[in-house]
Amino acid sequence: MVTIDLSKLSVRDGNEALRAAAERGEDIEVLNPDARHHIGVGLVAPVTVKVRGSAGYFCAGLSHGARFEIDSNVGWGVGDSLYEGTVIVGGNAGAIAGVGLRGGTVIVKGNLGSRAGQVMKAGTLLACGSAGFLAGYMMYGGRIIILGNSGERVGEDMSAGEIYVGGEVQSLGSDAKLVEPTAEDLASVEAFLAEQGIAFTGTFKKIVNAGTKLRYGVNEPISRPLPHTVFSEGGTYWNAKVAEDIHAKSLIGRYRIRGYGASKPVPHFGDIALKLDPERLAAVKDAVASVKLAMTLGERHGAKPLALSMPVLIAPMSYGALSKSTKIALARASRLAGIVENTGEGGMLNEQRAEAGQLIYQCLSGRLGWNIHDMKRADGLEIYISQGAKPGLGGQLMSKKVTKELARVRGIPEGIDLRSPSRHPDIMGADDLVIKVEEFREATGYAKPISIKMGAGRVRDDIKIAYKDGFDFVQLDGLQGSTGAASTEVLENVGIPTLAALQEALDGLREIDAGPDMPIVLMGGIKDGVDAVKALALGASAVAMGTAAIIAGGCISCMQCHVGNCVVGIATQDPEHEARYQIERQSDAIGRFFEVVRWQIATLTKALGHDDVRALSRDDLVALTPDAAAITGLPYDPTWATRAEELLTEVA
Amino acid sequence: MCGIAGIFFKTQSSNQVLGKALVDMLDGCQHRGPDSTGFALYEDDVEGLRLRFIVDGDDPEAAIARIRAALADHGATIAKEKHEGATWVVDVHYAGEIRPFAYAMEHAAKLVSIGTALDIVKDVGTSHDLDATYRIGSIHGSHGIGHVRLATESEVKPEAAHPFWATGFADVAIVHNGQITNYWKMRRRLEARGFEFRTDNDSELIAVYVADKLAQGVKLETALERSVDDLDGTFSFLVSTKDGIGFAKDRLAAKPMVMYEDDSLVAIASEEVSLNRLFPGRPLSTTEPAPGTFRTWSRSI
Repeated sequence: MVTIDLSKLSVRDGNEALRAAAERGEDIEVLNPDARHHIGVGLVAPVTVKVRGSAGYFCAGLSHGARFEIDSNVGWGVGDSLYEGTVIVGGNAGAIAGVGLRGGTVIVKGNLGSRAGQVMKAGTLLACGSAGFLAGYMMYGGRIIILGNSGERVGEDMSAGEIYVGGEVQSLGSDAKLVEPTAEDLASVEAFLAEQGIAFTGTFKKIVNAGTKLRYGVNEPISRPLPHTVFSEGGTYWNAKVAEDIHAKSLIGRYRIRGYGASKPVPHFGDIALKLDPERLAAVKDAVASVKLAMTLGERHGAKPLALSMPVLIAPMSYGALSKSTKIALARASRLAGIVENTGEGGMLNEQRAEAGQLIYQCLSGRLGWNIHDMKRADGLEIYISQGAKPGLGGQLMSKKVTKELARVRGIPEGIDLRSPSRHPDIMGADDLVIKVEEFREATGYAKPISIKMGAGRVRDDIKIAYKDGFDFVQLDGLQGSTGAASTEVLENVGIPTLAALQEALDGLREIDAGPDMPIVLMGGIKDGVDAVKALALGASAVAMGTAAIIAGGCISCMQCHVGNCVVGIATQDPEHEARYQIERQSDAIGRFFEVVRWQIATLTKALGHDDVRALSRDDLVALTPDAAAITGLPYDPTWATRAEELLTEVA
Repeated sequence: MCGIAGIFFKTQSSNQVLGKALVDMLDGCQHRGPDSTGFALYEDDVEGLRLRFIVDGDDPEAAIARIRAALADHGATIAKEKHEGATWVVDVHYAGEIRPFAYAMEHAAKLVSIGTALDIVKDVGTSHDLDATYRIGSIHGSHGIGHVRLATESEVKPEAAHPFWATGFADVAIVHNGQITNYWKMRRRLEARGFEFRTDNDSELIAVYVADKLAQGVKLETALERSVDDLDGTFSFLVSTKDGIGFAKDRLAAKPMVMYEDDSLVAIASEEVSLNRLFPGRPLSTTEPAPGTFRTWSRSI
């Protein structure tokens, strides 16, 4: 038995010692924990850890296989995303005990705080005392046993799983119902209690999902909508697009859902020109070889940074929204181009990991497919707060795409209309977020960059939080960012344009004298290297491309991504449709597209007189419209419009 | 976006020093708010009425001169004074009505607090930074509350730090973690009745709201009970008066709060790690207040 005294060691050093001892197969005793956070986070070894006192947030979080015995209380999120193993708490647990459980057992001898078992997928959470508000909130599976009272609104919006209550059911949550437990249920619960040596003589009530909200009541009729480029706002009020929209709503009686991003004109990079005479392009020789494009991302806090051959990333898109084949093709293309792929929501695929040179692993609100093993094999970790297409809302994945395999990877029931939570269980504010970031750093030995993905809402405030909470870089997504499924009202109307988002971010950082040490990766309608150069000159450190990469790889822009019948095999989980997608051919095409982007960035940078993309500045830009000038603060000079068009014919 | 802490000694003879206890508790949760820190201390040695002003501008001496003139105008006589960090603190003898006096003082300089025991010390920096500048750790008193702040929407400057004094009401202070979403609606109601606000910070609103209730003769406990109904959003807040402290927590339970109570003291904080700072190496029997609840402790009971 190894003893770790936290009155003498920091938690970081303590966890390091703990991992080292566990690797040698030794059990560990933690003295003077004094409710410090992150004790035992990320431990992957079948050892016993005895915590002699109270632990703080995320005790035993992201661990696999260990047995934790905590003498006294624990703070928020005990056993967070536990894969397998046992956690026994002698006292009370704070909020979200057993959040995102993927397996194993969490036993709390006292009471549970609010939202116990939120978004759990499997395993058992037992409270010997009572539960608090919203126990089993949005759980996808597994079992909660409460020997005392249930707390208010138990089982709120649970999709699956079982909750057993030995005391009083104080009130049922939305879409939860009481059922009679079967003899089999009771035998299983009693066997579990007996195994844990816990006596209970009362009778159990059982709570399960009531099935009223798992699927949308009415499906939208499948039709080919008017193209993305036809705008509903413009010269006429009652145009074909508006009429089509009204017809559809009169049939289904709810909001509509579609893929892709906002399809209305907003100020964008086309409203900004490079101050570059097209004639100067002729003199540019060997731009790709002579302009410095390579960069690193993520070293702000000493992690091993991502290495990019040019300031471009692939935007986060999920396996789920996209087929497995498409995710593999994107991963391969990212390797060919020397850039970075991103898992998006819904977990990491082995094939994707193998093909991607570097891979960012995203953690979303539902903790779908989130686990310590994939964290360890990722090159960067990313906390998704929101996205440009639908700031403030969670992901949506319609039932046709929630196949057996996909449900397994995400840890959810098959065939539901999945609506991910709009917020993280453990991020209710900047103050909680900082503790979450630290948990990920502790779990992965401070070796991986941690980024934040945010949609463009209140960017000026949010960017300050990102800076102060210690992120290594920010992925900022404007209104034009696309998605696999969102309500059309949100797609068109929520958020601010990409240009405005970047400007607000830069202004926000300047207001707190932040300096340039937290890079911004800009996305949301970036379509080529020309846009990229303008974004870099405005102040972004890199750009990310999602839709552009998908189109390069065969997408026909029909905007029916949400339906699941994608004819080219991209936005589908249907094996027949997916079979049409040729991974190698399409990833080569995506790779070729990125080489053009590289050439565009290098050529324009050199023509502007720089030999390093980092030398691009606002002096290289003018605004062609009053709107773009007002948003960015660039000088308004429409006299550049003709030259800008000419330039595009040369490079775009 | 922040962390809160409060402590109340039930008896005179506590073996903990008020200032030291709060410095340690706030240091324990400093990760929740690294930008600024603040204390509302109910001190033993206040002579008459204590006023603390922020005088951090280009010419602090001019600000102090303005305050002296304003004090003299209102017939307040200075008993003792000190220029400390970014602040000037003065004990005065004054017998008149507090609210007009307070508003007049605010026009002279940035007034942080007025009290017959209350002294609010807040500044940019950490708990230990403030302790070094203001020697908080050696302040003796009966109870107090404190706050660490991560600035999101407003600037990082001393006057935007918490705690907030209930402007116009002596000896009432508040610290708050969360966000009040019906802020403007509530503020306009209070403004219509003649209350003035110094900041756009939603925590100041809670302070004025509670103080207004107290001024109407409502008991602190009842004021807190009503606040749970009247305030929308997410909140865990602590309020302190000359006699004691209290807490209220929203019905959504979105913001943490843990408490410890024994025969000699009550300690409340955002996280247990702060409570454990009072008793290193000792597992504590703590409780988490339920959503939508409130409670008070007072020496007069």
